[in-house]
This record gives sequence, structure tokens and C-alpha cells, in this order.
Amino acid sequence: MSDVISFLPPREKVLARRSTIIADLADLLPADCLVHEPRELVPFETDAFVAYRRLPLAVVLPHNTAQVAAVLKYCHRYGVPVVPRGAGTSLCGGAIPQEDAVVIGLSKMSRILEVDFANRTATVQAGVTNLSISDTVGPEGYFYAPDPSSQLACTIGGNIAMNSGGAHCLKYGVTTNNLLGVKMVLMDGTVIDLGGKHLDSAGYDLLGLVCGSEGQLGIVTEATVRLIAKPEGARPVLFGFTSSEEAGACVADVIGAGIIPVAIEFMDKPAIEICEAFAKAGYPLDVEALLIVEVEGSEAEMEAMLSSIVEIARRHGVKTVRESQSATEAALIWKGRKSAFGATGRIADYICMDGTVPLSKLSYVLKRTSEIVEGFGLRVANVFHAGDGNMHPLILFNANDPVEAAKAEAAGNEILKLCVDAGGCLTGEHGVGIEKRDLMLHQYTRAELDQQIRVREAFDSQWLLNPSKVFPLDGRPQTAGAV
Amino acid sequence: MSLLLVPTREEEAADMIRAAAEAKRSLAISGGNTRSGFGQQVEAQGVLRSAGLSGIVAYDPAEMVLTARAGTPVSEIEEALAENGQMLAFEPMDHRAVMGTVGEPTIGGIFATNTSGPRRFVAGAARDSLLGVRYINGRGEVLRAGGRVMKNVTGLDLVKLLAGSFGTLGFLTEVTFRVLPRPQDQRTIILSGLDDGEAARAMAIAMSLSVEVSGAAHLPESVRGRFLNGNLSDGPATVLRLEGLAASVAVRAQKLVATLQSLAPISQLEAEESRVLWQEIRDVKPYADGTMKPLWRVSVAPTSGFQLVAALRLQAGIDCFYDWQGGLLWMRMESEPEGELVRHVMHQTGGGHATLVRASDDMRATENAFEPLPAAVLALQARVKQQLDPAGIFNPGKMARS
Amino acid sequence: MQTNFTAEQLADPHVAESEAILRRCVHCGFCTATCPTYVTLGNELDSPRGRIYLIKDMLENGRAADAQVVKHLDRCLSCLACTTTCPSGVDYMHLIDNARAHVENTYRRPLMDRLIRNVLAFVLPYPSRFRAALKLARIGKPFGPMLAGFAPLKPFAAMLTLAPVTLPQPLPQQSQPLAVAKRGRVAILTGCAQPVLDPRINEATERLLTRLGVEIARPKGEGCCGALVHHMGREEQALNFARRNVDVWTREIEERGLDAIIITASGCGTTIKDYGHMLRLDPSYAEKARRISALAKDITEYLATLDLPPLESRGLTVAYHSACSMQHGQKITLQPKALLRNAGFAVRDPAEGHLCCGSAGTYNILQPEISAQLKARKVKNIEATKANIIATGNIGCMTQIASGTAMPIVHTVELLDWAYGGPKPDKLS
Ligand SMILES: Cc1cc2nc3c(=O)[nH]c(=O)nc-3n(C[C@@H](O)[C@H](O)[C@H](O)COP(=O)(O)OP(=O)(O)OC[C@H]3O[C@@H](n4cnc5c(N)ncnc54)[C@H](O)[C@@H]3O)c2cc1C
Ligand SMILES: Cc1cc2nc3c(=O)[nH]c(=O)nc-3n(C[C@H](O)[C@H](O)[C@H](O)COP(=O)(O)OP(=O)(O)OC[C@H]3O[C@@H](n4cnc5c(N)ncnc54)[C@H](O)[C@@H]3O)c2cc1C
Ligand code: SF4
Ligand code: SF4
Repeated sequence: MSDVISFLPPREKVLARRSTIIADLADLLPADCLVHEPRELVPFETDAFVAYRRLPLAVVLPHNTAQVAAVLKYCHRYGVPVVPRGAGTSLCGGAIPQEDAVVIGLSKMSRILEVDFANRTATVQAGVTNLSISDTVGPEGYFYAPDPSSQLACTIGGNIAMNSGGAHCLKYGVTTNNLLGVKMVLMDGTVIDLGGKHLDSAGYDLLGLVCGSEGQLGIVTEATVRLIAKPEGARPVLFGFTSSEEAGACVADVIGAGIIPVAIEFMDKPAIEICEAFAKAGYPLDVEALLIVEVEGSEAEMEAMLSSIVEIARRHGVKTVRESQSATEAALIWKGRKSAFGATGRIADYICMDGTVPLSKLSYVLKRTSEIVEGFGLRVANVFHAGDGNMHPLILFNANDPVEAAKAEAAGNEILKLCVDAGGCLTGEHGVGIEKRDLMLHQYTRAELDQQIRVREAFDSQWLLNPSKVFPLDGRPQTAGAV
Repeated sequence: MSLLLVPTREEEAADMIRAAAEAKRSLAISGGNTRSGFGQQVEAQGVLRSAGLSGIVAYDPAEMVLTARAGTPVSEIEEALAENGQMLAFEPMDHRAVMGTVGEPTIGGIFATNTSGPRRFVAGAARDSLLGVRYINGRGEVLRAGGRVMKNVTGLDLVKLLAGSFGTLGFLTEVTFRVLPRPQDQRTIILSGLDDGEAARAMAIAMSLSVEVSGAAHLPESVRGRFLNGNLSDGPATVLRLEGLAASVAVRAQKLVATLQSLAPISQLEAEESRVLWQEIRDVKPYADGTMKPLWRVSVAPTSGFQLVAALRLQAGIDCFYDWQGGLLWMRMESEPEGELVRHVMHQTGGGHATLVRASDDMRATENAFEPLPAAVLALQARVKQQLDPAGIFNPGKMARS
Repeated sequence: MQTNFTAEQLADPHVAESEAILRRCVHCGFCTATCPTYVTLGNELDSPRGRIYLIKDMLENGRAADAQVVKHLDRCLSCLACTTTCPSGVDYMHLIDNARAHVENTYRRPLMDRLIRNVLAFVLPYPSRFRAALKLARIGKPFGPMLAGFAPLKPFAAMLTLAPVTLPQPLPQQSQPLAVAKRGRVAILTGCAQPVLDPRINEATERLLTRLGVEIARPKGEGCCGALVHHMGREEQALNFARRNVDVWTREIEERGLDAIIITASGCGTTIKDYGHMLRLDPSYAEKARRISALAKDITEYLATLDLPPLESRGLTVAYHSACSMQHGQKITLQPKALLRNAGFAVRDPAEGHLCCGSAGTYNILQPEISAQLKARKVKNIEATKANIIATGNIGCMTQIASGTAMPIVHTVELLDWAYGGPKPDKLS
């Protein structure tokens, strides 16, 4: 286990009351909703940022908003930290607990409450998985647009907390652009509704603030999201290039020409090989970089857009252009892309970076990224959302080798700084969590961060909600367990 | 109102705000002041205008991102965009005609009010295009939020919080936003003769098709004549806009017509007329009538809009039309009914929020311009405001009657 | 994912194997979404990732299994949906096998639990014992609801509920001569429970294959494949079943040759295809077992190689239920449906096809509550297809689903036999 990043020291008072707290939680909830045996807590000690782990004090798995409210009210009263957890697919350690915290898992709240086609909305419990919304409304010709690669497993609650994006967000926007309302429980147990089936709201855009707040402002228990009518057709096309730089430049030119496909995804050679091994999607193995470009609409529209893109790609010396010929093939192409991180596990452990850069800097940042990682004697695979400049270098290493693990973390930090210095940001969609927490001051000034911290305090003055995350532990107010 | 402050540099603005905060002197924040009649009346001891902070800072059409100082006139931005075949996706309305104000709307004002037009229901609001801001908080600190890239989840999204905060949380000095290619072609499909309920159904059907309708409005008989100089065909008009490549627009129009033709007689507007019509819808042309008759803007679920109007008509004289697939109501009141009535009926028909956009000074003094919020949310907002503007100097009373 | 084992621990081949499997898991959580028990219970402890973590913790610490861990491992259906989902290629099947063996070796189950498991292991793998037990069960059936009210006896209640009221009698064996030129020679696994519960399946298989020119070998002495006890962690017993079958088939191969070993219960197929792995540490069997595994074929897999002629539409719609052991265990997904379509049936895929029906060997007896929820969900999805018939390739699923719906359910091969000239299956008349 890595130990570069520290957690808040546990609150001694809370640890001392552990058995009372567990007994009290047992009174608040049905028996199947409480996990507290030490053995059973172990699987909750981490999320998909598996290099870091902390055992929680207890885990509760409520069935409804009232139970969430009861637990939060209790924890508020006794100063017990809480860590919300959806599917635990966070790549930045957002759902990793701490010794004095109660994990509030939303996994039992997985019902779709209402689908309203006339108004194009779906109202779901927070533990509903992203994909199940599209699966439910798909037969009626609709879909829910944000499609993180983890959409099979990740929850809407987690998506809201991270403001998750995905391949198809180039055209349709990320979670915040597709979220109409939430029901959430504040730390003191108050239940509020923000937004609804209507657009915009009176007062401040608290919905916009909550989206992407990484479980620091409250626990979302229900969400109303926007549905979109499925396009007439959609077709992913593979463009193979002889260098990453050419592929990167091609992306910038496509967007620059005013063409906005639904998705432009990038894979370099190592990533192509990894994904092809799992999905057998027919990715070309004889190229250095691959773009998956998806166009959609009527046949005529797709043709028109494709021919413009092909023309631009030719200028960048594209080596292969392959259109998917069937729905099955298209599905395989996406399956390969969406399984990229997981499939990497076949060859090595990895950590995944998530910086975003302006498109004009894409080629440069790709090149520097390779240099940085190679400088540490490690390998990198790149697979990411190129259309919006959201890079995902996967740094490959051996987790059983502490020296390599430390190098991987160090390389990651340098890459993120590179992204910020190139005019971008630390994280485009995976969130800050603990992973990028200590780099926040590279992107923000102390005063900027302090302003964010103060807004956070308007919601949770005792710093009980997911307290070890997002904001560097240094320089926090006293209440936040400043160190 | 006394002191007028028009800083020309960000630091100068910060000094002014810091001084005001120390002296507990309140400031009305304004851009072009084209909508000063909007919201609650602000009683402030000074006015801080963004007009001196003007000009485009960076615009790289290939990146589709534009950065401008907050006081930059919207017209200047639109010109620059037009030159490059680009546009603001959210189609901000021009309030001058309807409000009877003069002056130049500013880009900062647009984002401070989160002003969005007809395309909002599919392409997002102003806040969805806003990538980053520079602003000055109530302590006089110059800060940034967001950035200039499309995807950014680093820290709390204060950009969203500041958008639509009507100058009550911070003074915007610079905004960075995403722009989009201007569609090559557009046309409007008109269904004639549908009543409000039938229109809502027709619009819902249109939105269920894969034709990417980018504007869906219903213009009842009473307002129809006030669009396109009275040249819109007879009877209530339900209008659906299609935009994109010319070939694609034609194909989609065919498909739309084929599906809807059983519902009503259909006619079409070609690009130029279509563009004018949607601009008039955007700017609420029928009610740019030189009066101060109360004008409400109500946002509800699309299928409850016409129900709300029907229920309200039983108790009040209203003239109205619908945008956003029926979910945005522009209602001009013939008498001055209490906002309470509008809101009561709205909550009975599914909820939403009603904003009093225009009214006589008397009415503004007694009416909540913005939808009153539940106590818990109000308390939360007050805490948020306290954290950005601890001395409470920005636009006191703007967002809620105290 | 990082692991923490000492060199000493890794000297044990089972631990070493488990470690290699654990290292592949990147803890991405994808597998949770398709796990029937997670979907039902909403607790990570009852998900593949949770179980993997529990196993990791138990093995790393070289700890005996305890009640908490066993509870969650026991709830695993071994449906292997997680393996299909996992992008990283985590071999969950062999991990849970090792873990179950570890549980069996280090954990003493409560009395009732031990009792019921002993009974199952004593009865089920042996057709004669099973037949006798079912007769008894028929007498006991009325007591089922009574037993269900008392927690430790729930499995007995479940057993009584599942026991069919009547058992079909096997038809006298008709050894027809081959009608066409010989295309191959195969053995058909007789197995244990299936010939008792539904002898019609293998009868249809024999008829169809014979008509197609495939000669049926009948080597003496084969029996239960070992899956039932294997999934209970009773490794030695399982290996003995495996060795016996390997011996029987090896003799047949050496004496008269075999082109395939046909299996008509996909649950058994998954296990027989794994003999090579199960016996890899037994030098005298490793090689032979590998050969047997390579010859093992599901009946649909084998039929797909025979190029059956396309038939006219029969105007019947079939909801095809893919058994977990078929789709996840053996990754056979397309052939059964293609064969049915080719034979003139319209085929529908029920929603949530990846989810287990809750049968899972003895699972419906040992975990009756979860099993019943999964059954209800499966039946709802199948009935929603509005098909005329349900077809599947595993006897366990047939019994389980039949106990929850009035729709007729048959083995895929019964429909194929009918379509290609055999009698109409009893269950359809
Ligand atoms: C009747 C009416 C209806 C409106 N309806 C809508 C609507 O439906 N949706 C919508 O989103 N907007 C709405 N608006 C607001 C919008 O249209 C603005 O009027 C316009 O864009 C303002 O530009 P301006 O520069 O003239 O701003 P002003 O009229 O000067 O100011 C508008 C608001 O923004 C604040 N503001 C201006 N500049 C800054 C700055 N630099 N920093 C911080 N705060 C600033 C002001 O304090 C004021 O609250 C409405 C306005 C009016 C008058
Ligand atoms: C292989 C893989 C691929 C991925 N691909 C993408 C991708 O393409 N795009 C992308 O954006 N992300 C991606 N992710 C990251 C991750 O899936 C997302 O961040 C996802 O939104 C997390 O959802 P979750 O339900 O797993 O939440 P968790 O991981 O459980 O939690 C994430 C954060 O949200 C908080 N949280 C969870 N639920 C709630 C709630 N109800 N209320 C308040 N706070 C809550 C938690 O405290 C935590 O801080 C990927 C992850 C993996 C493992
Ligand atoms: S899907 Fe595979 S890699 Fe991911 S958690 Fe499950 S077993 Fe591990
Ligand atoms: S085998 Fe089935 S029940 Fe067991 S963990 Fe995997 S998916 Fe879940």
C-alpha cells in the first residue's frame, strides 16, 4: 500500500465510542443494512484507486432517503464523519473511507422511480447504475447521454458527485449538463429538493454546485435526469495513424473545422493492443495511434460528416480508415474502448491520470507524457476522450514492487502538473478525491481554494462529509482537523 | 443611489470592493443595466459597473473557446463570433425591447443572470457554456473559478454558483465560454390550428423523434399576429426548428412532417424567416408592447405548461405563449393578480418556478420577483452568500424580498 | 491489485494459483453490476469484487474460514457472470474453487448445515439413491411449508418444494441402426440427476444423433461429473468422480476411438471441460484429463458442426434461456439459438439474460430465499417475451424455472430432435 498521501488523523472520541455508535446505528436501521464485523469491513476499505486503503468504522446500506437522513442526523449530532459510496469505481479514491467514518453505501437504493417520456426525464434512486437508465428507456427510443466507461457499474449518485463524463459527452455534455434535479440529505439530516422536471431554478444554482462536489456537500438519494431521443443511426469509424502526434493534430483540426462528432476517442499502440486482446474488435494493430470517431444521424448526415473528417485525416497521413459494418461490430468497437482500463489489468497494474488540456496542446502533452513516464523507467498507455482534450495516460507498474509504485505516483504527479501548465486542469472527469488533493495548489491559489473551502463549510461546518478528500489537509480551518 | 464606480482594471475593482466592504457600503452591480428593472429593487449606496472592463481577451475559433472581460458588449462578442461562423449555443435573449430599457447588454450580465433563449431546452443554459470566470468576492479578492477547457471537475464548481447569482455573490471581471459552429441552414415547420394541449402533445412527439429539433414553441392565436409582421399563417402556430447541414435539415424536415401531418396542416419557413421568427420568440416580441403590464416567465415540465395556463385562466386574464416544448411560459397579465395565485396554481400542476420579469414599480415593491424557496434551501443560500460576501455588500435584497 | 503473500505461502500451488488470479484484478468493480447476488442484495460483500477481497484477506492472512466469510462465499452461485464481465480476465472460477476447498478444510459448519450438505453429497450424485429420495420426498411434500417456518430446516423445505410430483420413466432403449453414412462416434454423458428427472433429454439426443449418422458409444461405468460436490468444496470426492470418468472415457478412446464426449447438461459440461485443470497436479491423470476436457462438447456445440439443413418456419416462438454454465462457464452463446432458428423456430432473448435463474446446482436448496427471488425475476423476464416455449440446455434450470411458470420448458435438443423428425416432446402436448 502506498503512503505518500495521508488521511486525516481519526477522531479519537469517535473511535472510543465505536461500539456505542454501532449499537445506535443498529437501532436506526434494519439488520441487513448494517455491516460492522471487522472481517466484513475489509472489502469496503478501498475503491478503484486501490493503492490506498482505510478500514471504515462501519458501513450502512440504507433502503431509502429517510434512513439516510436518520443516519446523517445521528452522525451530525455525535460528530461522526461519513463517506458516501456508490459502486466504488472512483479512480481518485473518492470513496475510500477512514477509520472513524461510517460509509453510507447507496447500493440498495437501485430503483428507477419514474420514466416520463413526454417530458423526457427519468427519476431514479442514487444507487441506480448509469447504464441501467439507458437500458430501461432504450426500447422506447431514448438514452441517457453521459456514458463513463464504467457505466455498467457506476451509480448515478457517484456520477453526480464526480460530474462524470464519457465518450459521447463531446456532443451531449457531461453529467451536470444532463441533470435536472436531485433529492439530497444535508449533513444535519435535512432533506432538500433541488431542481425538478423543469429547467433552471430560482435562487442560486445549488444543483450545479452539488454536481461534482465529491460527496462533500450532502448525500444525493434521488436524481432526475434528462433523456434524449436516440439518433437515427450511429457509426463508429476507426482511423489509424502512424504517430500519436498526427492523430492529436487531426483531432484539433476536426474540431477546428467546426465538425463536432458525437465522440472522438484516442488510443495509442499499447492501448490498442490491450483492448484488442480483450474485445477482439478488429482494431488495426499496425498503427501507432487510433482514433475512434463516432458520427450519428441520418445516413446522409453521417456520410457528409464522415467525408469531411476523412479529408482532414488524409491531410494527417491517416493509414487506415475502417467503418463499422454492423451493429455487432460497432458494439465491439465500443466494448473494447470502454474496457480499456480493466483490460490493462491483464498486463500490469496501472494508475490512470485524468488531466484536460486545450486541443492545441494535445500533441505536445502526449509527447511530454511519454518522456516523463519513460524517464521513470515505466511504460504508459494512452486511451482517452480526445475531442475535449481529456487525457488518460495509464501508467503501468507492478503494485507488488514498492519502488515502482512510488515512481508511478511521482510520474503521475508530473503529468498532472504538465496538464495544468499547458492551460488545462488536474482532472476532467475522475475527480480530485485523495489522489490529486495535494496538487490542488498547483492549479489554484490559496485564496481561490479558501473560497471553495468556505462554500463547502456553508454545507458542512463540522467537516464530517468525506473529510479527507479534495482539499489539501494543510491550511484547512481548525474545524477540518487542520494539520 | 450615489457613488458610481466604473473601474477599468481588475485590481482597481478589487480595491473599490475592499474599501466598500470595510466601510460596509453596499454596491449595486451592473453591466449594461439593460435589465435593471428585473429582480427585486436594490437599495445600494453605490453602483459598481463593469463597463470599464471591456474587450475580448482571447478567442481561438479552432478551440471554440472565447475569453472576454465582463463588461464587453454582447454585440461585440456576437460580431466576432459571426465573423468566424460561430455562435453562443444558448441564444441569450435581448431584454431591451420587452423591458423598455436602453443601453448595451454585457457578456458578464448575460452570465450573471444565466440568460438563455429557445435552444436552452436542448443545448443547455448560459451556465452550461460557461467554462471559467475571474471574479472578485466580497472581501475584494481577485479569484478564478473553472478554466478554459471543456472538461474540468477540479474542486467545487463555483462557476455554476456564480452564473445566475445576479451579482449577489461576486463581481465578474472576465468570463471564458464555449462557442459552437453556427448551423449552415435552418427551417421551421409550422403546425396550424392546434389548441394548447394538442400542441404540447405534438411537441412531445417531435422531441421523441431522432430529428434533433432545436426549437419548439407554441404561439396561440392571440400572439400569432405579432410575429413576422403578422405573416405567420392563420390560427395558433406550433413551430419546430431544425438546424444543421442543408441536406440533413431537408431530410429531417421530411421525417418530421411525415410523422406530424396527421395532426394538423403543415407549412414551413425557410432559413431567413425562420431565423427572424426565433429571434422574436427569443426576445418575447409579443410583449415588447411598450407597457409595464406584468410579465411572468414560468419554467415547468413541458407537459404541465398548458395545464397551468388552463387552470390559471379560470381565475385571471392572461395572454401567453410557450417555448421549450411547452415548458417555458411567457405570460402577460391583463390585470395584476398576485404572484401567489400564479405560484399556487403552478405548484398544483406539478411545480416549477415563476419569475416576475416586468412590472410596475408598485408591484415590484410587494411581489417576489423570484420563486420563494423552501426554508431549508433559503437558509443554505444565505450561508453560501455569507461565505462569498460576508459583509453583504453585493446587490442587497436582489434575490429575495427580506 | 497488490497482494501480500510470503514465499512460504506461495509454495502451496493452490495459494500460488489464487495469488496469480488476484494480481489480475484491478478492483474496477465492473463485475458487481452483473452479479445476481449483488443485484439482489445490494451489498458489496455479496458481489464478486467483495468476495475476491474477502478471499484475498483470508488467504493472505493464512486464516481459517469463519462464519462471516463463509456466509458470503456460500451465497455465490458460481454462475460466472462476473467472469464474462471482467475485462481483466480474472479467473474467478478457480479462485472460488480454491476458496471453497479452503472453507471445507478449515471451517466447521453448524450441525444442520453439515447434515444437509452430507445428505446432498450422499444422494444427488447417485441416480438410484436420488430416485429413492424423490419417492420419499413426494410423501413429504405436504410438510414443506411447515419446515420452511423453521430457519435451519429451510433447505429441506426447498428440497420438498422442488421435488417433482411425478417422474417420467425412461423409454426402453432403441438402438436404431445408422440411417446415413457414419459421421462420427461419440459418448454421451449419462450423469446423475438428469436421467432421473428427465430421461427424455438424452433419449432425444441419441435419436437425433443417430439419425444424423453419429454412432453412440455406451462405455460402462461413467457417472456423476463431480460438479455437485466440487461446488461444495469437497475436493477429494470431486476429483474421484473426475478420475472415474476419465478412466472410463480413456478406455473407450483407446479401444474404439471417440470424436467427442457429448454433454447435455451444461453444468456438467463446465466441470468436465475443467477436468484438465482440476487434475493438473495429479501426474498420473493430468495428461488424460486434458484430453478428456478437449473432447468434451455441449450437444449444441457439436450439432453446430454438423451443418443441419434449414427448415421452414414452424410458427412457434421459443424463449431461449441461456444457462449460466452455458453462456458464462462455457461461453456458448450463439450456437443454440442459431440451431433453433435454423430449425424453424422464432427465438427471443429474455431481458437480463445474463442473470442466473437461481438453480445453480444445489443452490436452490441451500440458499432458498435468494434462489426464489432470482427465479421470480427470471420467470418475469421470460414470460414477458410472450413466447410459446422455453428452451434451455441445463436440467437444473429446467427444474427451477418449471417450478415457477406454467410455460412449457424443454431442452434445446428436444426441440431439435422434434424438428428433424423425432416425436413431439411430451411437455408440449
Ligand atoms: C426582464 C428580464 C428578464 C430576464 N429574464 C431572464 C431570463 O429569463 N433568464 C436569464 O437567464 N436572464 C434573464 N434576464 C437577465 C438578462 O437578460 C440580462 O438582462 C442581460 O444579459 C443583462 O446584461 P446587462 O449587462 O445589461 O446586465 P445588467 O442589467 O446590468 O445586470 C443584470 C444582472 O447581472 C448582474 N451583473 C451584471 N454584470 C455583472 C458582473 N460583471 N458581475 C456580476 N454581476 C453582474 C447585475 O447585478 C444584475 O443583477 C432577464 C432580465 C430581465 C430584465
Ligand atoms: C474502469 C473505469 C473506467 C472509468 N471511466 C470513467 C469515464 O469514462 N468517465 C468518468 O467520468 N469516470 C470514469 N471512471 C470513474 C468512476 O467510474 C466515476 O467517477 C463514477 O462516477 C463513480 O461512480 P460510483 O458509483 O462508483 O461512485 P463511488 O466511486 O462509489 O464514489 C465516487 C465519489 O462520489 C461520492 N458519492 C457516491 N455516491 C454519492 C451520493 N449518492 N451522494 C453523494 N456523494 C456520493 C463518493 O463519496 C465519492 O467521493 C471510471 C472508473 C473505472 C474503474
Ligand atoms: S471486473 Fe475483474 S478486475 Fe474488475 S473488480 Fe471484477 S474481477 Fe476485478
Ligand atoms: S459466480 Fe455469479 S454469484 Fe458468484 S460472484 Fe460471480 S457473478 Fe456473483
